[in-house]
Formats: sequence, C-alpha cells, structure tokens
Amino acid sequence: MALFLQSLILGILLGGLYALLAAGLTLYFGVMRVVMIAHSAFLILAAYLAWWFTSTTGIDPLVSLLGTVPLFFVVGVLMQRVLLSRLRPATLTMMSVLLTFAVALTIEGTIGFVFTGTQRRIQLPYSGSSIEFFGAQIAVVKLIAFVLAAISLTVLYLVLKKTRFGQALRATIQNKEAAELVGIDTRKVAGYGFGVGLATAAIGGTALALDATIYPSLHWHWIGPLMAIIVVGGLGSIPGAAAAAMILGVSQSLLQIPMGTTWAQTIFYVVLFATLVFRPHGFFGGRLAQRF
Amino acid sequence: MTTSIRRWAVATTAVVGLTVTGCGIDDPSEGGDDAGSSGEASDDPIKIGISLPLTGDFSEPGKGVQRGYEAWAAYVNENGGLLDRQVELTILDDQSNADRVASDYEKLINQDGVDLVFGPFSTRLVVPAAQVALDYGFLFVEPAGAAEDVFTQGFTNLFYAAPAVAQDHYNYLADHIEAMPEGERPETAAYAAMDDPFAQGTAYGLKDRLEEMGVETVVDEVYPPNTTDFSSIAAKIASSDADIVVGGTQYQDAVNLIISLQQLNYQPRMAAFSTAPTNPEFASAIGDKTEGIMAPTGFTPEATYETTAEFVEYFTEENGAEPNEDEANAWTTGQVVAAAVEGVGCADPSAECQQQLIDWLRENEVQTVVGPLTWDAEGRPQGAHLIQQYVDGEIRIVLPEEAAEAELIFPKPEW
Repeated sequence: MALFLQSLILGILLGGLYALLAAGLTLYFGVMRVVMIAHSAFLILAAYLAWWFTSTTGIDPLVSLLGTVPLFFVVGVLMQRVLLSRLRPATLTMMSVLLTFAVALTIEGTIGFVFTGTQRRIQLPYSGSSIEFFGAQIAVVKLIAFVLAAISLTVLYLVLKKTRFGQALRATIQNKEAAELVGIDTRKVAGYGFGVGLATAAIGGTALALDATIYPSLHWHWIGPLMAIIVVGGLGSIPGAAAAAMILGVSQSLLQIPMGTTWAQTIFYVVLFATLVFRPHGFFGGRLAQRF
Repeated sequence: MTTSIRRWAVATTAVVGLTVTGCGIDDPSEGGDDAGSSGEASDDPIKIGISLPLTGDFSEPGKGVQRGYEAWAAYVNENGGLLDRQVELTILDDQSNADRVASDYEKLINQDGVDLVFGPFSTRLVVPAAQVALDYGFLFVEPAGAAEDVFTQGFTNLFYAAPAVAQDHYNYLADHIEAMPEGERPETAAYAAMDDPFAQGTAYGLKDRLEEMGVETVVDEVYPPNTTDFSSIAAKIASSDADIVVGGTQYQDAVNLIISLQQLNYQPRMAAFSTAPTNPEFASAIGDKTEGIMAPTGFTPEATYETTAEFVEYFTEENGAEPNEDEANAWTTGQVVAAAVEGVGCADPSAECQQQLIDWLRENEVQTVVGPLTWDAEGRPQGAHLIQQYVDGEIRIVLPEEAAEAELIFPKPEW
C-alpha cells in the first residue's frame, strides 16, 4: 500500500511535468497544423540555459525564467514569421516536420558546441530533500516542478479562455477561414501562438532541469512521449494534453511496480496505437477541443 | 477533421522515422590525422586507432579513457616513443552507439590505415569493436569490457587491461559479508542494474554470492541505459527497506538513482555502486552526501606497483588532477600493447605482426599501473578488485584488509 501511494504521488508529479512539456506542442498544431519536432530541443536548450545561469551566478534556476520566457517568446514569433509562414499551406504539416527536424538538429549541435557533450545536472541545496505525506515522500524539486507546471498551465488556460488574444487563438484553432472572415489576423495570431508555445518550452525546460541530467541529444528521448501525449489528449486541446499527460504519467509510474522499468515505458506507445486505431481524434479531442 | 487526421497519421509516421534516424546524426569528432597509407618507413609514427563514447550515455567515463590514452601517448613520445617511433592517436566519437563503434573501427583499419587499435569504453561497445578487430586479425586490448559476455564469444585477439572481470568485482565485499557474525549480517538486498553486461555483471556477481549465504533478494530491477527518471525504481527499493542496495551502474545513472533514493529518505545499512563513486565528479554530483558509499575499483593512486607512482605524477602534472580508474585502465591498455610491441619488435597492421603480438601476450606477464597482468585463453585477467568506501569525505580502500587505508564503515551513516 505504501509503495502504491508513493508511486501514485510520483506519477501525479510526473504527469504534471509531462503536461507542461506537451502544452506548447499541442498549441502549435492547434493553431497552425505545425508538427513541431524542435519543441523538445527548445526544452533542452532552456534546461541548459537554466543550468548555465545557476552554475555561473549561484542563483536558483527558476530566476532564469525572467530571461528565458520572453526570449523564447520572441524566438517563437520570429521562427513562425521567418520560417514556418513561408511553407505552402497545402503541404504545411508534412513540411513542418522536416523543417523543425532541421531546427532540432541545429539546436542540438549548437548546444553541443557551446556546452560540450558532457552530461550536466543542477545541484541545489534542496535537490535531495523531501516532504513526508502520509508516509510517502515528496521530493522538493519534483514538487516545485509540479507547482510550476500547474501555475503555467492555469495561466495559459486563462489566457486562452479570457483574453481577446485567446479568443482569436481559439477561433483560429476552430476555423481559420471563418476567423479571417470576422477580421482576425490569423497570421499575427499564429506568430503569437507560436511564441506562447515556445515560452512554455522555456518554463518546461527549466522545470525539467531541476531534477534531471541533461545532455544535448536528450530531446530525442522526449519527443516521442510528448507526441503520444498530445495525440492521445486530442490535438490542439490544452486540457486534453494535461489529462492525457496525467493518465500516462500515473499509469507509467504504477505499472513499474509489477512490470519493471523497461516494460512500463511502453505504455505511451500502446496507448498511442490504441488511440490512433479506435479514437483517432484523441480521447479528449472531441469534447475538450471545442472549448477553445 | 478527417483530412487533418490523415495528415497526422502520415506526420506521426514521419516523426517516428525521423526521430529514430535522428538519434545518430551528429558528425564524429575526429582527432588526429587520417592519412591512409599502411606502409611506412621506420621513422613514421605508429598510428593507433580508437573509438570512444565521447558523447551519449557513456560520455563521462569515455572522456576519462580519452584522457588516459592521450596522457600515455604523450608520456611515451616524451620518452623516446615505441621502437624509437612516435605514437599518434586517432580518436573517433561513437556517441555511445554500438553500430557506430563497429563502423569506426572499420574506418580506422581500412581507411585510416592504423597500425594498432586500442579498445573503447563499455562492454556494449567493446563486443562489436572486438569483432571488427578479430575480422581483420588485429590485437585488441581494451580498458573497459569486463562483463562475462566479452570472454565467451571466441575473441582470440582480446585482452582486458584491468585486474578482474565484472563478475568478480565485489568478491572482497562478499568475502567480508560472509565473514560477519550471523546476527550482524545484512538480511535483505535490493539490486538495480543498467541493462548493460558490465553493469549487470558487477551487481549480479555480488547477488550470486549474497544469495548463496542466505541474503534475501527483495528488489531486482533492470533499467534501460537511456533511463532518465529513477524515481519509481527508487520507490521500489525504498519500500522494500532492504539492508543493502547494490547498483550495477555506470556514472550518470548512479548519480540519478542515488539522488532519487535520497529524495525518498531511504537509509540502507550498506550501499555499493559500481563505476560512479570512483569518479572525481561524483561527490559534488550527489551533493556531497557520500559517507559510507562503496565501490569496487581496479586502481588506486596509492598502489606500490613499480610504474604507478610515475604514472600518477605524470598524469597529475598533465591534467591537474590525480588519475581515476578509467584513466588508469586506459594507461594500462597502452602499457600492455607497448609491452607486446617491444617484446615482438613490430607495430604494423600485417597479419603476421598482429598475431605475434597476440601470441606474446598469451605467454607473458605485463607490469602495469594496476599490477602485474596475465590472462586466460579468453582474455580474462587473473586478479581482483579492491573495495573503496567514502570515509570522512574521502574515498579510501577498505577491503581487502591487507591493502586497507581505512576501516570499513558499517552500518552506513545516513545520507
């Protein structure tokens, strides 16, 4: 029972992190039908910037968000305007895979060149600390990452739900042509949407860096599970991605008890295949995507 | 929506394909020159080809081996070379990839025309590399392929340049536990090992011995080499409250596992991890909570073997820090090959010369920085590893007693 509770807590914390990491990915596709392979590479770049910030200044990596969030937002807007907006709409989805794949490789190479291939880990005074909760231990760094994810996703949800930009973004997601007919500049919305997506990568990468060893090619490890999450959750749906992330995170954690580490990791792909076969619009896509 | 879904199906397929492909796309970081002639005059340098995991899962120890090889080459060149010829290393980066390491050695032998090859780091990379060397009849001395798998595949050209194979690394610790009074002896043990022949070999060598003496196995977890989240494995171990935790680990996985165990406030009475604790970065990587952690090692700078002091002094002067085990094993590899070259009097890629080098090592003992080495017919060294432990913040030899620098701490203080 103690192991079940401990694994459940770990799964929830992991699910929260997954949700944050996947949020931007689902936004890109929702707004622009862009498959953003480079999202996880930007996550690792943000993690490296957080590590670099802390190792050079000694200040907590969360402070680096003050710089990386606006920086990534601007990079996202520029990336959409300079690169992605030039792709032909008819082949946008496929070509975006190739284009962002190249961007991912470029980022990986740049990280390797600047920071070398040595594995890095942020060592904080509270890295090994935990809080007891009904006999289970909650690692402080994992809790911080989870709280960061919860705050970020809530803010993102409120921005999409309550602001004019959010309304325009949701309109673009639901029906781009109709949105243009009512006067929404979908090109501008797409740029800002991409910027917001990349800003979440800055937050996600920093959260990841709190409790992970990072190296330049780590993004290949992440892109598969993140893609699975947004497909299972329903493309373009932030709540769907959050729900799928939580389900997959908890499932993975709990399944490790009977199945072991190797087999538990296959849960993502089993669920992905099942989703594509039986519910191709995602488990939550049908209903939740309409909320935007 | 249907069109969108179709696009997604195609795109997802492309993503999976590209992601898989992308895992091996970096350019190799090549060192040295790549001139291709195999024939040389006697004053040409002796070209030695090596592939190492300078990036990827094994990059930390891989770079340690690189430092060891480079220091050995510099030392040899400063002292007149081999057969009065300078040595020249060509080092490729295999990115910890078993396919890549095989093609690297193909390139080194076929295109770069090296005279000799040295082995890479990690059993997973040594096996494919050794196969290529065997195909071309090359002598293959390696610093890090210690798992039993290495010695059961018919590599008649292979020699492991360290004191003992993985399965025997914890022998002195097993002997110590066996000698403890029944009431004090640990009763339960948890094992977590990377799915890697070397790492698993070290953990399971101890597991076999402990089970023989009645220590119950309560967790036996194997994880893939690319595992980044150890929290669930740590939860299993912590929940079992095992007396001993044994990690069959390389470097980064050990660091991640230990931090995860610390986060769960699990306090074992004994903790042993292979490879990582002897790395100089280890203490800072786990927040200096090292007291009582043990590790087997084949090398200590304090050893009194005839070449050790000179090696430690030279290496420390070159690198600003004392050598660790990976660096020492690399240097040892150089010493073993050099002994064969000097013994036979040749260093070229011809089948005759390479076979003479192999035969010479089969019949002779070599004095190295990790002690005198001899090998059985499969290339297993005939020695034993020391057991080190963090005592008062310093890693010290604690077993066997005749070599001990400090008394073994048991039970382990809280971390």
